[in-house]
Amino acid sequence: MTTTDGGWRREDAEFVAGEVAARVAEALGNAVPEGLDAAEAARLKARLIEVLPAEAAGDARRVCRRFADERERAAKAEARARRRREHHEKGVERLTLHLRIQHMVLFASCVLLIVTGLPIKFYDVGVFSWIAHVAGRGVLHNLHMLGALGLTAIAAYHLFYTALSENGRRDFGLLIMRPQDAKDAFRQILYFLGFKKERPLYGRFSYVEKFDYWAVYWGMVVMLGSGYILWSYVPDSTIGGLLPKLPKSVFDISREAHSDEALLATLAIVVWHFYNVHFNPKRFPGSLTWWHGKITVEEFKDEHPLEFEEWRTAGRTSEDDEPVEKVLAPLAGRRPGGDR
Amino acid sequence: MRPARPLAALFALLLLGAAAARAQEVPAAGQEDLRCLGCHGKPGFKKVLSSGQVLDLFVDPTFLRLSSHKERRCVECHADVNEVPHKERPQRVNCRRCHYEGNTAGAPQGERYLDFENSVHGKALKAGNTKAPVCQDCHGDHNILPGDNGRSNVAHAHVPQVCGACHLQVYAQYRESVHGKALARGVKDVPVCTDCHGEHTIARPEETSSSVNAGNVSNTCARCHSKVAIMEKYGVKAEQVATYQESFHGIANEFGVLKAANCSSCHTAHEILPEDDPRSTVAAANIPGTCGRCHPGANANFAKGRIHLNPKDRSAGVVYWVSLGFKVLTIGTLAGLFVHILMDLYRQMKGRRRAEGGAGPAGETP
Repeated sequence: MTTTDGGWRREDAEFVAGEVAARVAEALGNAVPEGLDAAEAARLKARLIEVLPAEAAGDARRVCRRFADERERAAKAEARARRRREHHEKGVERLTLHLRIQHMVLFASCVLLIVTGLPIKFYDVGVFSWIAHVAGRGVLHNLHMLGALGLTAIAAYHLFYTALSENGRRDFGLLIMRPQDAKDAFRQILYFLGFKKERPLYGRFSYVEKFDYWAVYWGMVVMLGSGYILWSYVPDSTIGGLLPKLPKSVFDISREAHSDEALLATLAIVVWHFYNVHFNPKRFPGSLTWWHGKITVEEFKDEHPLEFEEWRTAGRTSEDDEPVEKVLAPLAGRRPGGDR
Repeated sequence: MRPARPLAALFALLLLGAAAARAQEVPAAGQEDLRCLGCHGKPGFKKVLSSGQVLDLFVDPTFLRLSSHKERRCVECHADVNEVPHKERPQRVNCRRCHYEGNTAGAPQGERYLDFENSVHGKALKAGNTKAPVCQDCHGDHNILPGDNGRSNVAHAHVPQVCGACHLQVYAQYRESVHGKALARGVKDVPVCTDCHGEHTIARPEETSSSVNAGNVSNTCARCHSKVAIMEKYGVKAEQVATYQESFHGIANEFGVLKAANCSSCHTAHEILPEDDPRSTVAAANIPGTCGRCHPGANANFAKGRIHLNPKDRSAGVVYWVSLGFKVLTIGTLAGLFVHILMDLYRQMKGRRRAEGGAGPAGETP
């Protein structure tokens, strides 16, 4: 067995030391330097042969370690570049431009709403209190309402998209929760805990993605509905003035729901969504799918094998793809895609 | 009884000895005052001015004897009276002759006079308003007594009448209000004019220093209304202060948005009435109008629901259940998501260890 030390092997060190000793002996030859008797020269020669290889071996060790580090860095850079290339060239489009625009406006609005909403909600707590006092209540409210208009726009866009676009209608149908999702979640948890060797196979949307979609759907309904009811009570507001004035009790319920759901949504985004797209070790420091819309073929096969199988049977995969049967081995007996 | 120390002090300066000064105490006070009372002590002593106005010049010796100034001689205050009988009408008495910080006359120490100068009344006086009140208009003259004496003009129970002598309309409103009626019943906790407006510091509501400025009103009311010990005696909820502070109005007000409603915006300042009184601005039938003063388009719906609402209390009804529901939903959802993340990480770690050992692919999220 060889022992390794920063990319350096013991044989390498022994080899370098032997080489250096041989070279020193050769260079010194049998010549006796002037002013030295033969015995003294022999002692010096022996001493040099003893010392120099050790130093040379030390140097070689450092050089090797540096080479090893460089090799590792280059390999990482290469892997990154490869992933980027794969995303750009070989990647599969998962988010169309329509969806990417929807996601971007959604998150821009949400960031604005959260950044202004937290100081409004926690006006007497630490850093939020500071922001609230520095920015001023009026500025926070105006920006919050701007965010609300952005959210409204994206909600309308999405409703039209799901109603009118073919992709939108198909995806909406696939996003509907089915009993299979409960089974998948159960099996996924068994897999997490090591009770099952294989993960369940997912189609276009796993139960996690469906949960995310409906969580946002619920959040939009609650936040926009309650938000506009609050808005209707704002005096001297152009938009608020156009809205019907509902009973005070409805206003109170809206205020409570708006504040509570806002906190739930914010925590869900920061904990859950940030884990899924940023802090998950596979994604760290962050997926760029929101920008270019693509995932790698590997990710596609791995995370959405049933959809991949659909693509394959529909002839939507190129010939140099890996044999899909291997990926889909545990699929035997299940209808690919279909009603999932 | 206190000896006539102020005068003693004057003598002390001359004689350089307190003991000697005490020996010179002024027994003559009564005698000199008797000369004044020779005319002014007769009931019905009066003068008819050329304008036809009748000046009542009678000074009741009983009041004098009971007042804080019973040891003072007439001319100590009426300092411009040099001969008896006096020919000229004396000037108004200037209390500041003795009442200032550092006085040696034995008057209470303090700079009330400076406070007064900066007050709305002092400023009006300075601007030449002859109707502006000076000390004796509130504190009384010959009957002067400290405020904690129940017979004093400025005793708690008498304040509204004293102020009302000039502010008649406000007094009429106050007397009908929940505070005024309670005062009439003899309730001690009830606020009178000075409890909200201040005494010598009294300022226009427009001034930010005023205790009844829009930015300060809620704190002024809270001085009593946040105290459970006081409020429970009268069946008023002390949490009304907190529920206001947590309302949109309260938060906006705290952030200096003074157009946001404060207590008196809805309850009024002087005509405060309980909500079951049909004249009250917060009676259900009047709420749309009250809200409408700031909220154009306020309709009957504004009255459908509680105004001072504590979401954490069961009495809040649906709001309480919504609040509780969201609490459960939030904790439940976040706990579930967190556990899901931990399980995923556990699997990925296990998968990586196995991969390093050379077996099997790493665990992945769906």
